Amino acid sequence: MSKACEVPGCVKPPMVGDCRLNQLGIGCRGAVCGVEGDADLRRRLLEMGFCNGATVEVVRRAPLGDPIEFRLRGYCLSLRQEHARFVKVTVASA
Amino acid sequence: MHDCTFTIEPTRTTSADVIVALAGNPNCGKTTIFNALTGLRQKVGNYPGVTVERKTGRCRLSGGRWASIIDLPGTYSLISRAPDERIAMEVLRGLREDTPAPQVVIAVVDASNLQRNLYLVSQLIEVGRPLVIALNMLDIAQRRGIHVNAGALEKALGVPVVPVVGHRKQGIAELIAAIDRAAVAPMPAFPLPEAMRAEIEKLAPHAGRHAERLLIGDHAEDVQRLARRDDIAPIVSASMARLREQGIDPMQADIEAHYQWIDSITEQATHRGAGYQPVSDGLTAHATGSPLVYAPPKTLTERADAILIHKVWGLLIFAAIMGALFYSLFFIADPIMGWVEEGVAWLGGLVTEHLPEGPIRDLWADGIVAGVGAVVVFVPQIALLFLFLAVLEDSGYLARAAFLMDRLLRGVGLHGKSFIPLLSSFACAIPGIMATRTIEDRRDRLATIFVAPFMSCSARLPVYILLIGTFFAGLSAWGQAAIMLSLYVLGILAAAGTAWIFKRSLLKGQSSAFILELPVYKIPQISQIGRTVWTNSKAFIVRAGTIIFCLSVILWAMAYYPRLPEERIAQMEADIRAAPPIELTAPWITAPPPTDTAAMRAEILEENLRAYIPEAIASAQLEHSISGRLGHAMEPVIRPLGYDWKMGVGLVAAFAAREVFVSQMAIVYSAGDAEEDATDLQASMRADTYPDGRPVWTPAVAASLLVWFVLAMQCMSTVAIVRRETGTWRWPILMILYMNALAYVAALLTYQIGSRLV
Repeated sequence: MSKACEVPGCVKPPMVGDCRLNQLGIGCRGAVCGVEGDADLRRRLLEMGFCNGATVEVVRRAPLGDPIEFRLRGYCLSLRQEHARFVKVTVASA
Repeated sequence: MHDCTFTIEPTRTTSADVIVALAGNPNCGKTTIFNALTGLRQKVGNYPGVTVERKTGRCRLSGGRWASIIDLPGTYSLISRAPDERIAMEVLRGLREDTPAPQVVIAVVDASNLQRNLYLVSQLIEVGRPLVIALNMLDIAQRRGIHVNAGALEKALGVPVVPVVGHRKQGIAELIAAIDRAAVAPMPAFPLPEAMRAEIEKLAPHAGRHAERLLIGDHAEDVQRLARRDDIAPIVSASMARLREQGIDPMQADIEAHYQWIDSITEQATHRGAGYQPVSDGLTAHATGSPLVYAPPKTLTERADAILIHKVWGLLIFAAIMGALFYSLFFIADPIMGWVEEGVAWLGGLVTEHLPEGPIRDLWADGIVAGVGAVVVFVPQIALLFLFLAVLEDSGYLARAAFLMDRLLRGVGLHGKSFIPLLSSFACAIPGIMATRTIEDRRDRLATIFVAPFMSCSARLPVYILLIGTFFAGLSAWGQAAIMLSLYVLGILAAAGTAWIFKRSLLKGQSSAFILELPVYKIPQISQIGRTVWTNSKAFIVRAGTIIFCLSVILWAMAYYPRLPEERIAQMEADIRAAPPIELTAPWITAPPPTDTAAMRAEILEENLRAYIPEAIASAQLEHSISGRLGHAMEPVIRPLGYDWKMGVGLVAAFAAREVFVSQMAIVYSAGDAEEDATDLQASMRADTYPDGRPVWTPAVAASLLVWFVLAMQCMSTVAIVRRETGTWRWPILMILYMNALAYVAALLTYQIGSRLV
């Protein structure tokens, strides 16, 4: 069961189906199901590992809300909200 | 251990037996391994035509042979548009004329981040050169509960895998030995979709071995050229269209296939240690492979981050660290800079004594020695800033600082990593601009470089203090401080506005994805830090120093030539003695000495004359020189701003360094050494009038001049460093034009409106 999302505007669990990576709350996990955006951005996100249903976890947000730190494939990286929203994730039911 | 040295001509490979390229992700410890392989001295330069750093070195192999090692830029991939990655790929494929094709590639892999690192390895395998894997950071991986089996990895990949702990220099000897065992890896069977394979086969007769690269959109020059050909382009679009109909995007399919291969490799080569806890959150068929997810154990880094990136504590700690940086640049570097200046002057003075009076002596003392001083004086600040930066970067904190500040700076079109360069620029823009190296994205870096000079630097302070103290003396101390503060704020606002405009116009283009890795915290290595400080200080002296020195000598000559004729000087002296200015005779009129004799008066007058006459002559000389004439020539242009030719002379001289304005004003007004005591200068300035009686200096004029100094580009050293950091004269020239135009308009408005209000 994902932790309660304290970020306003987060799609609160329990929920099923797709949402965007920037909508997940702290501690929530999702499986990557698609990447949108222009070719360069898509390539970069895919190459960093946002593909093949990888599990992404939201670790924290910067004090001013942006950027967001994620964990995937065993490492951590930060993305700005404007880029994170191009990643579609599936959150499973509780 | 092994014996290493450096090479003087890395591009000529006749002296090396093996050419080795070092590749790897950013933050994988590649630099540490490069340093361990090549020793203290390496050659650092730029790839011609781009601002990508080029590092090469040499290493001794067994049997007396030498390897030339090229440290490729840290890259996540080899086929994207980023200049770093293009250069790396070109070097690897042997397409660059300035760099020989590598015969062996050492791929540095971060064991604690295996999957993403293996993506680059998969591309290196596709390039097809003999490969060695340096499996680095095994200790960190272990702490995180990840155990990577080097032997299993070697079996899975088919190339030698050498475990290395770079920062402890373990495994280096084995790595060197493995260079001889490098093998071309067997091409993996990347599971591409059938339809895509079919399309590649269809393209093959037309495009040869580039068929797949064409489909996935490789940005290499030769592939792009092929893609644009009239006979190829339509075939490729038809293929892409067919694939799109089946829901396949070639680029995505290619990357996914690579990662599927990576998943299988990591299955074979790793296992998780005791710290891992399986967490089931019921992800079903979407998660390929394991239905369970593992949460890694809480590491020291994560616990540290809980505080350091905390909403409250994180920002407070950040403010404290930045405050310490600022303080040291302002107050610690300052006295050291004073010593450096004195030292240079003293050394120069040793020679001056032996030179005959005349132009050569003056050229030496005021031109050459002063020029060298103008360069060397920056070294303490640069060294100090880079010391700080190296510690912050190596420890891993710099990424956190960028993480905290990014939102704030992005609002004006800058970058989280712009914070430290901009903060440093409040002390001096030269080290600040050099510090923009940490910003990877070219546009963000250029924008930061462009606005850094708007941060009111310490050289402006003497001018601010002089003008505020002279013409706003009526205000209280708080009032004067408020004016000073508003000048700083004006600079910041100008910077924000400029960055915003620039990002939208000149530097318009695709912003690369902001992807910031927060690396594991580690203790910085002293040798690494020392190396960074040394390399950057040396680079500054060599590259920017030459420009600064030349400009310094030129500016000296402009104020020195043409010389006043001897007869003029003699005539001036005679005139002054015949009719001494009233203030030289005044002292004993207002306060008569106890025994007021004519002899005593004459003695005092003579003393005053001896001090005054050289100053008067210097002032006349300055007016007679090129600088002086420029000042006069400029007058019509600067009159609308409220300035006269004397200020013009000051502005010309201030191009050497802003604080020179004060000393130049002192010379023009024959007012003695203004750095010691400015009251003479202040009095002279206040008393100065135009022929019609209007005062030259009014508060509106002073305000206008202050605004000018906030906004104008008036520092040859800054121009030199921008030239060096951007690699072209285009940006420095643009900066001069833009900033001075902005300063002109702002000063104009200030004066015209101010003179009507007051």
